[in-house]
Amino acid sequence: MKKLLLGGAALMALSVGFTGVTTGSAQAQQCTTKIGAVLPTSVDWGRPIAEVAQFAVDQVNAAGGAGGCQIEMVLRDTQVDPKVGVDAARALVDLDGVEVLLGAVSSGVSMPILTSVTVPSETMMMSCCSSSTAFTNLAEQGETKGLFFRTFATTGVQAAVGAKVAADQGWGKVAILYKNDDWGQDMARIIAADFAEAGVEVTGSVALNDAQPSYRAEVAQALSGQPDAIYLALYPAEGTMAVREWIGLGGTQNMIMANSLKSDEFKENVGLQYLAHAYGTDTASPRAESADAFVEAYRARFEAEPTGPGLANSYDAAMLALLAMEAAGEGATGPQIAAAIPRVTDPEGTPITADTAGFAQAKEVLAGGGTVMYQGATGNVRFDANGDVSAPAVIWKFGESTIEEVQYLPLEEVNAIMSDG
Amino acid sequence: MIQHLIDGVLVGAIISLGAIGLTMVMHILRFANFSHAELLSVGAYAAFVLGPLIAGLSGALEAGIGPLSLSWAVALAVPLAMAITGATAVLLDRIVFQRVRAKGGELSMVFASFGVALVMRNVIGLIFGLSPHLYSRDIAFAQIISYDPLIMVKPDQVAVLVLALILMLALHLLLSRTTFGYSLRAVAENPDLAQVTGVDLKAAIRAVWLIGGALAAAAGVFYGLTNQIIPVMGRDLVLPIFAATIAGGIGSVYGAVLGGFLVGIAGNLALLVLPPGYTPSLPFVIIIAVLLLRPHGLFGEARA
Repeated sequence: MKKLLLGGAALMALSVGFTGVTTGSAQAQQCTTKIGAVLPTSVDWGRPIAEVAQFAVDQVNAAGGAGGCQIEMVLRDTQVDPKVGVDAARALVDLDGVEVLLGAVSSGVSMPILTSVTVPSETMMMSCCSSSTAFTNLAEQGETKGLFFRTFATTGVQAAVGAKVAADQGWGKVAILYKNDDWGQDMARIIAADFAEAGVEVTGSVALNDAQPSYRAEVAQALSGQPDAIYLALYPAEGTMAVREWIGLGGTQNMIMANSLKSDEFKENVGLQYLAHAYGTDTASPRAESADAFVEAYRARFEAEPTGPGLANSYDAAMLALLAMEAAGEGATGPQIAAAIPRVTDPEGTPITADTAGFAQAKEVLAGGGTVMYQGATGNVRFDANGDVSAPAVIWKFGESTIEEVQYLPLEEVNAIMSDG
Repeated sequence: MIQHLIDGVLVGAIISLGAIGLTMVMHILRFANFSHAELLSVGAYAAFVLGPLIAGLSGALEAGIGPLSLSWAVALAVPLAMAITGATAVLLDRIVFQRVRAKGGELSMVFASFGVALVMRNVIGLIFGLSPHLYSRDIAFAQIISYDPLIMVKPDQVAVLVLALILMLALHLLLSRTTFGYSLRAVAENPDLAQVTGVDLKAAIRAVWLIGGALAAAAGVFYGLTNQIIPVMGRDLVLPIFAATIAGGIGSVYGAVLGGFLVGIAGNLALLVLPPGYTPSLPFVIIIAVLLLRPHGLFGEARA
């Protein structure tokens, strides 16, 4: 029987994957420069992220291309799998000879690509959507060689705002329940530090594993510190179970939720009556003209609302990479392109819009040796020394039928909270 | 500490019910049935569908029983769900396992059970969707039994424990006091010899599936009541149930009961010693420890 069980376990571990490769193309005129994109096109929310990047490439080509050539974006699927992602990135770098790589989405995929492909091969990498602070740490140690940028704010923004909620509400003791994966561990670590900075005591930090039959013991553990509030870095599936258990065991209904719990399923299964003191955090689109312009352009091009995750970020990632290629000139290498990024995100530079006309204008300014300030779908993008961006934030609550905004924190305010922390 | 112990007993009751059915099937049909835990889902979803139907008959049934979040309607749906799940188990045997048994070996049965588990889980997901459902949206509040040390128990959990113990007692009486029970045990002991003495082997196998399915259904409803109903609940519970079965000794109903409580309590107490991220490893640790110390489980016997 032991043998049978082993056979069974092996079968249980067996999974089947398939590889799909899709290629974007652009019409070549005089010459064509390839750029790479590694994105999870095989998942439903991943495809629009790739399409909006191609949209940016098309606009740039309409303005005559970047770095003197038309741009062809070669797109490969990551299947949200680090192994597949690394293979895809390696093929793009080694076979297609790209100097710029867009992607990936998940931090867990971007990280191995960065460390084992783009940094060793000196390729510039621009991620639309990876939020882990592990990249910041890596950049601080100089391991990214300044070749990594991302247009998505780190989890640090949400954590900082979460700590602000606790401080504003006067919750002095908070317990943390977090999903036991890269994202959750990252969140738990940062929020604990932010709470400490804000003078909020963390009474306990408990990891919840996926697919457990019961979270009762974990919840009881978190409850034992008798906190004033609970911080939830969870997904709706385990979040629902844990919060129902938490409330049932008499836990406080003062809650701070990460954006992952912004879900109707969670609201309905927990019950709105228990969520009156539950505040969520999220990063937000800037309330800027350029962001509205992107929404308009997106509607016109795709006949849909740009509501999916990472769309504005993906568009800006592609645009900025191409602007930098333009600034670096024909035949530029990855490090040269990366070094040109400050020239296109200069707060003192000529403001340019995120469209064909804007890119054409940028070409003129850059050709004259000037600098430009890109005003994109996520606002005026500005990278810090680690290639990170910040973003405005919102504090939200569950309402009867919608998500209600409690407070909008513009970029300046978020930066102020972050620098306190 | 005491709180964890109590929680462990309450969780253990559900695992025990699941393990009883599994141990009986494993003993009599001699294969590790990985689809057994999916029967819990079948039972839970059957009661989920039947509950509102029964409530439709009379509005009064929609009310909760006393302090429980369990409504009369869902309570009445439990026996029906047990019957449906038992029948499902018999049907699965008829469609799949019987045929494989006739032609293939033990390993083929194990593989077949994997396939059956996948099919069942995904069919349930197709019909009901992948997101969780609840018997009642109301949150069951725990009653404080003692303040120092703080001990809290939910009425639902006590009810589940009592009902589980009643089911186990009924099974015990069935197996130890009736001729039917003797014949089942005889088949488990030696199918050929049992047939010689006039036991209908096919009827016995059918009965084992029925009982196993019915107990699994009860476990599924109880699990749904204290947690949530979700298509992957079988997958989440399969390891604890297997750990309980193996720890108790394959074939021993009493071992399965004890194993269930052991796994439940150990899972809850583990948090006191292990970081929370490592507690899912516990069922494996129990399986390995038992197999090392008592290869046939706590109550199991060696057999060829």
